[in-house]
Amino acid sequence: MLWLIPVLFVVAFITFSLMHLVPGGPWDQEKQLAPQVVENLNRKYNLDKPFIVQFGNFLWNAVRGDLGVSYSYQDKGVTQILLSGLPKTAGLGVTAFLIAIIIGIPLGIAAALKQNSTVDYISVFFSTLFANIPGFVIGILFIILFSVTLHVLPTGGWGSIKQVIMPAVALAALPAAYIARVTRASMLEVKHQDYIRTAQAKGLASRVIIIRHMLRNALIPVMTIAGPELAALVTGSFIIESLFSIPGIGRLFVQGVFARDYGLIMGTILFYAFAVALVNLIVDILYAVVDPRIRYE
Amino acid sequence: MKQRLFCILGLLLIVMPLGLMVACTKGESTTPAPQVQSTPSVPQVLRANLDGEPATIDPNRASWSRERTVIMQVFQGLLGFNQDLTLKPVVAREIPSVSNGGISADGKTYTFKLRPEVTWSDGKKVTANDFEYSIKRLLSPDLAAQYASFYFDIAGGKDYFGSAKKDDAARTQLRSTVAVKAVDASTLQITLAQPRPTFLQIMALWPAYPLREDIISKFGDKWTEPPNYIGNGPFMLTEWVHQDHLVLKANPNYWGTKPRLSEFQLKMITDANAELAAYKNNELDMSRVPPGTEKAVMADPVISKEILRFPELTTFAFQFNVTRPPFDNVKLRQALATAIDRVAFVDKVRNGVGKPALSWVPPGMPGYDPNLGKEYEFNVAKAKQLLTEAGYPDSSKLPELKFQYSDTAGNRLIAQFLQGQLKDNLGVNLTLEPMESKAFTQFVNQEKHTWAWFGWGADYPDPDNWLPELFGTKAGNNHTVYSNPKFDALAKQAKSELDNAKRLQMWAEAQKMVMADTPIATMFYRERFILVKPTVKGIKTTGMDGQVTGDLFLTEINLTK
Repeated sequence: MLWLIPVLFVVAFITFSLMHLVPGGPWDQEKQLAPQVVENLNRKYNLDKPFIVQFGNFLWNAVRGDLGVSYSYQDKGVTQILLSGLPKTAGLGVTAFLIAIIIGIPLGIAAALKQNSTVDYISVFFSTLFANIPGFVIGILFIILFSVTLHVLPTGGWGSIKQVIMPAVALAALPAAYIARVTRASMLEVKHQDYIRTAQAKGLASRVIIIRHMLRNALIPVMTIAGPELAALVTGSFIIESLFSIPGIGRLFVQGVFARDYGLIMGTILFYAFAVALVNLIVDILYAVVDPRIRYE
Repeated sequence: MKQRLFCILGLLLIVMPLGLMVACTKGESTTPAPQVQSTPSVPQVLRANLDGEPATIDPNRASWSRERTVIMQVFQGLLGFNQDLTLKPVVAREIPSVSNGGISADGKTYTFKLRPEVTWSDGKKVTANDFEYSIKRLLSPDLAAQYASFYFDIAGGKDYFGSAKKDDAARTQLRSTVAVKAVDASTLQITLAQPRPTFLQIMALWPAYPLREDIISKFGDKWTEPPNYIGNGPFMLTEWVHQDHLVLKANPNYWGTKPRLSEFQLKMITDANAELAAYKNNELDMSRVPPGTEKAVMADPVISKEILRFPELTTFAFQFNVTRPPFDNVKLRQALATAIDRVAFVDKVRNGVGKPALSWVPPGMPGYDPNLGKEYEFNVAKAKQLLTEAGYPDSSKLPELKFQYSDTAGNRLIAQFLQGQLKDNLGVNLTLEPMESKAFTQFVNQEKHTWAWFGWGADYPDPDNWLPELFGTKAGNNHTVYSNPKFDALAKQAKSELDNAKRLQMWAEAQKMVMADTPIATMFYRERFILVKPTVKGIKTTGMDGQVTGDLFLTEINLTK
């Protein structure tokens, strides 16, 4: 776990540098502000101090849990913004992930076990289809169908089950397709292994073979991709959150970059880096659980 | 067995929605929303949308229209605007003038008398001290308020604002020299460094709204959260779920004519398509329209009846950098201005929404001159003639013309239109240089551009806000690098001329100078295009509205069946 610290440090340093090197600053507007106003703003947010001092201040505060202040949301701390948005984004992400797994894995398994049958072709067709339709398009189609035409679901917001369905499914489409493909491919590979032939020769029931022997091995590659997928889902999708007006953190990063909101950018980047690192760690541990060949000292 | 079950479940989940999508009818058939049980009285709740979360609703610090929509309902200032944009007294008993003694003869001292019955929503009386506190806070260096510079005419204001580096003692001393004084609880006196006839308009703007010192001292940054957000206006902020929605309820203790609405709900849907979908699903009573779909909306049999359009005080133009060749040649600039078909522009690029602009100050504002700029009306022959006079009888001999713009979908259309126009009408090639938004803004603000698109919206309805800031030599928003000493002299005079008729005449002359020198080629005046449910009545639109149409006169809106 200790390697997490240098990783976060490097990420913070690179982001901080790039942020300040990129042309355009937080106070650049079409209706330019008076120079005295810009001067006071820079002073207020310590932007007139040398780079090293600013970075140092940021690190010192970050270590104590204070990720700074957002310029776009003037009275709020970044930590507070992230904490209030995180449950929504994470909730949506986890729901989408579960949907993706519940659809993707069984579909992949069924396709592999009945290779070249109708089930297989339908499964491959749908996974290719949904791997290529952008989530935004699926989202808009859902809104037009379920909200505008049928009036059965609200167009967006967060809080009720009705509001979760459309964004979660729209978000789950791509990962579901991807997981179905990988599950199918990996099950096929495992199906033709010698030890499966042995198990069948021994006379084991097919259900036992599938669950106890095939699945555990086939799921390892699936876990490899499922981990980063979960990280991506938890950190949020800018497009889906904007479309369904979900008050989470997915929108924040992109909006922050466009607005040159340094506080928000640094906070969200650190959070993302941490989330991705954490998820990768969990996946590594799960490997050890699932695959007896892997053992850590 | 189990895998079959899995298959079937999985397939069902995928096939069902697809089947439904195919089966449903295509097109814009807006089936009426499920009918609400008809109650004897319609709930007076207006639901509108902001295009995002307001950055701050602190009146001193706010600068965007999104924020103003909220602030204008909860607070009220000494003065306000009528629908025709003339001033009206609100918290003040009357508009100060020389004849009623409210303005001193030299035009520098303003005395406001407050109405005695004005109260905060918690019952306390609004006093002149609240205004003094607010204006001094606006000018404090630590707050770094973006609109502070508008109040630099107040004697001592600029110096106090610039005192960030000084120690506390010096700062306190400078604060006390800011010439805003509560002479007594109902009299406020402000002295300016030099006369500025538009000062009254600036006092009608939101940064000068009164504030409660006790609340802000007690809660600090948290004072803008309900229930601390106490104002003196017709509504109160009762709920704010960040990034999601805001709810304003009618203020039962309001000292003036109570609003007809009981509640004003503001959602924060950022995506225009989602907002329109919410409107069609009866979740909103008002909605904007995704850019580019205006013509389709106008053709739709149902929602075309719900369109509301009105002109904004906003002009868009091309600004040349007159120091960069070949744009330093005035005849060339005039040739380019005459070679662009503005009518086609409004029709094709803006979908028919907006009006072609031949001069800078827009209609609806004092100082608008409908006869100005006719010489730049689209005329290919004239444009070619001007090009010859500019020294380029053969258009292929022109040096490369470059056009910079911020790379958004809307701007791309504008750029391509321009490119097409120049090619067709003058045979001139234009190189397009898209840039990222903030990078572009910085680029233009540093005057590195050659020719760029830009717009200007009124902060207050006076040519004072439209001319000196943009065309004065080295003025803050002058990125054309235009410099005309005659203009500067006239602007200086007009800024402090107390006779209104004379003043407007001077600004008219000044505008004529600018149009003749063509540092900009005006293109169109923007218009708002929104949808409003037929149940919403009493909307009064003005050029000073915030983001929600009619929010300057929200108290007049009511809902019917």
